[in-house]
Amino acid sequence: MQPTKKRSLSEGYKICKKCIYDNSVPSIVFDEKGICNYCKMTDDLIAEYGTGNSKGQELISKIIEEIKLTGKNKKYDCVVGVSGGTDSSYMLHWAIENGLRPLAVHYDNTYNTAIATQNITNITSKLNVDLYTLVVDNNEVDDIYKAFFLANVSEIDACTDIALAETMYRAADKFGIKHVLEGHSFIEEGISPLGKNYFDGKYIASIHKQFGKLKLKTFPNMPFWTFIKWIAVKKIKKIRPYWYLNYNKEDAKILLKEKYGWQDYGGHHLENRMTAFSHSVYFPQKFDIDYRNNTLAAKVRNGKMEREAAIKEYYETPPFIEEGLIDYIKKRMNFSDEEYEKVMKAKPKYWYEYPTYKKRFERLRPLFAILYKSNLVPKSFYMKYCFPVTYTK
Amino acid sequence: MITIINYGLGNLGSVQNMLKRIGAPCKITSDLKEIEEAEKILLPGVGAFDSAIQKIDELNLRSVLVHKAKVDKIPFLGICLGMQLLTRSSEEGILSGLDLVPAKTIKFKFENTSNLKIPHMGWNYVTQNTPSKLTEGFTADHRFYFVHSYKVVCDNPTNSILKTNYGGDFDSAIQNENVYGTQFHPEKSHKYGMHLLTNFSKI
Amino acid sequence: MLLIRYIPCLLLKDNGLVKTVKFKNPKYIGDPINTVRIFNEKEVDELIFLDIDATPKNKEPNYKLLAEIANECFMPLAYGGGIKTFDQAQKIFNIGIEKVAINSSVHENLNLITQISEVYGSQAVIGVIDVKKNFFGKKEVVYNSANNKSKFSPNEWAQKLVNAGVGEILVTSVDNEGTWSGFDIETIKSITESVNVPVVANGGAGNVEHLKDAIVKGKASAVAMGSMVVYQKKDFGVLINFPNKQLLNEIK
Repeated sequence: MQPTKKRSLSEGYKICKKCIYDNSVPSIVFDEKGICNYCKMTDDLIAEYGTGNSKGQELISKIIEEIKLTGKNKKYDCVVGVSGGTDSSYMLHWAIENGLRPLAVHYDNTYNTAIATQNITNITSKLNVDLYTLVVDNNEVDDIYKAFFLANVSEIDACTDIALAETMYRAADKFGIKHVLEGHSFIEEGISPLGKNYFDGKYIASIHKQFGKLKLKTFPNMPFWTFIKWIAVKKIKKIRPYWYLNYNKEDAKILLKEKYGWQDYGGHHLENRMTAFSHSVYFPQKFDIDYRNNTLAAKVRNGKMEREAAIKEYYETPPFIEEGLIDYIKKRMNFSDEEYEKVMKAKPKYWYEYPTYKKRFERLRPLFAILYKSNLVPKSFYMKYCFPVTYTK
Repeated sequence: MITIINYGLGNLGSVQNMLKRIGAPCKITSDLKEIEEAEKILLPGVGAFDSAIQKIDELNLRSVLVHKAKVDKIPFLGICLGMQLLTRSSEEGILSGLDLVPAKTIKFKFENTSNLKIPHMGWNYVTQNTPSKLTEGFTADHRFYFVHSYKVVCDNPTNSILKTNYGGDFDSAIQNENVYGTQFHPEKSHKYGMHLLTNFSKI
Repeated sequence: MLLIRYIPCLLLKDNGLVKTVKFKNPKYIGDPINTVRIFNEKEVDELIFLDIDATPKNKEPNYKLLAEIANECFMPLAYGGGIKTFDQAQKIFNIGIEKVAINSSVHENLNLITQISEVYGSQAVIGVIDVKKNFFGKKEVVYNSANNKSKFSPNEWAQKLVNAGVGEILVTSVDNEGTWSGFDIETIKSITESVNVPVVANGGAGNVEHLKDAIVKGKASAVAMGSMVVYQKKDFGVLINFPNKQLLNEIK
């Protein structure tokens, strides 16, 4: 097993004085006070969305009313994507508390842990919420993952993100629902640095075309015009309630445990084995990327963790790896030990070396500016996709 | 190092899997020399008594197994049919067992009116009889997977370390000094099986 | 006391898990290995895997996949589907699977059961009885994915299987399978009362009450569940789950 490369604090790294992003984070800029632009972005979002204050409460109350009105004669008035994790489980609870009638939607990439499925079972049955699932064919999804391995790029689990988004849209469309609720919280998760990784439907298709073998029949990809169909024709809105509310992940966990017998899987995204592998093994070992800094930086910014403690955890504690996880991934990918080592040691490649829609999104910036203002795409999408990025290699 | 005896009958893969999971080094072999040098022996077994004895004798394993158990006195564990093989004989067959524990193997017999089916198949509880290193830390919750039509009866009650109820109590685990036997399958009994095998690995 | 066994019954097709209704219209459920991992984590009592394509398409069991499945399992496993010869059964046992479930091939060759049980013991062989109502409402024994009929009644066939040496019988109601409407208690009871080996009820489980009926009214020793453990609810999304153990422990 390759050891995680150690970052040395004495090697001339510059760290934000407020959070813990350092100068290896792409597109980072420090102001005269030594505070980074990501902290500033967070402050701007808080101002715009009124996060945790009366402005935010007012904005989200209006949205709740809009959801109820639009969905009045339908079986469900909103879609909530569920994974068994904290954010999405709490989102379901929040939706019911606020009188909404959600349909829970799950994209099963065939790598769920028992904890994830148990959490989904408990919360949907206690709240009496119906569940819609799209399960991808395990041969197809493994073919896509293997293609990403062989392409040597970092976004190995991008296909899950796209597939979940597409699945939620399909479920919304099936039942005539116009609002999709997402459990993303920039306060808790931080802002994913621009340019570090990237994905869209074309990226997935190009990597698979070049390195995959099977025809994809069940995988729910989202090509450009399908995306436009959902947002501009069907006008399905994406709402992120945690951007408006005082959402606290730790408190949410306590409530979920008490009320729904929810179980903790120990870390962001570790409820799914492929995401656990990508975060704990693939990114650190092959790309020297440790995404824990996103959540740790966020915790420091919102005062939930001491900056020193976050730095210590990030630099001194290696990521947790579930026993047998790597062997399991090798088994699913059908890699021998040698093939796996070869892939892990190969030179990394980057998203901009493969065909994507990025330039198209940049050209359509004015259109997406309008779309984000109507909540048809999240603002973070606009910021990340529609502007050119400076990437440090 | 636990040496798992391969005589052609038994759930070798599953036993090895669980030993790997608990971090106990093990190897599977039918080689006389390797068995002679073994520090700890595990004798699995699934199937019919005579079939097993025949295979053991065909491979000339009887004398080395008996030597390791009685003379070298290394820790020795027989599982399921493997436990029955430790007795002197079984009603299931006509050949002699290894006679490492003073006991015999007989068929389950129930009245026609009883609801009890044969084989005894499924999860059942165990209660401790004579204390043993193999069963250290066991609680009332400990249950294991059984699947057998014949049961072992010890000549001497003190050799019985666990009892299980199925139409009456029978010996579900036995011990004679360094030789142990479990009628149930620890390798198919989740965490309870892991507990027992961990105990065995430490003996 | 011997506990009642609650067994997820999973259907294999190609390399994936599927679920059927009345033996038709297979719908994709997910990856077999990951599903086994999940049931393993839930400490489920036992698992049954049936390959629904093996016999109709005359295929060999998928040994590679079965080995990977067996590797993940710390509880007993049974496999059925396309087993016609002693050698195939032997391969299955060597992989680390405890029991083989045989249906179609024994309708032409009961001796296969005797062959296997003489070497591996009767507890290693499950006799499978698929029951389907004919046009006149009479229950018949069927095989080859319910495409062929046997001239024997369910009870007669059960007797023959036991005499040949099976240690257990799996009774599946084709008409109830995948319907969430409950087991065919009548047939189950009739078989459990006529044989001395454990009987596993299969086909139709929709809730814990049904499980209770199979045990208390049907006198089954164990119950198998299909749709109930792979879907969140009837007609809803795929979600691997298992009934709450406390609820199950209350069934006596």
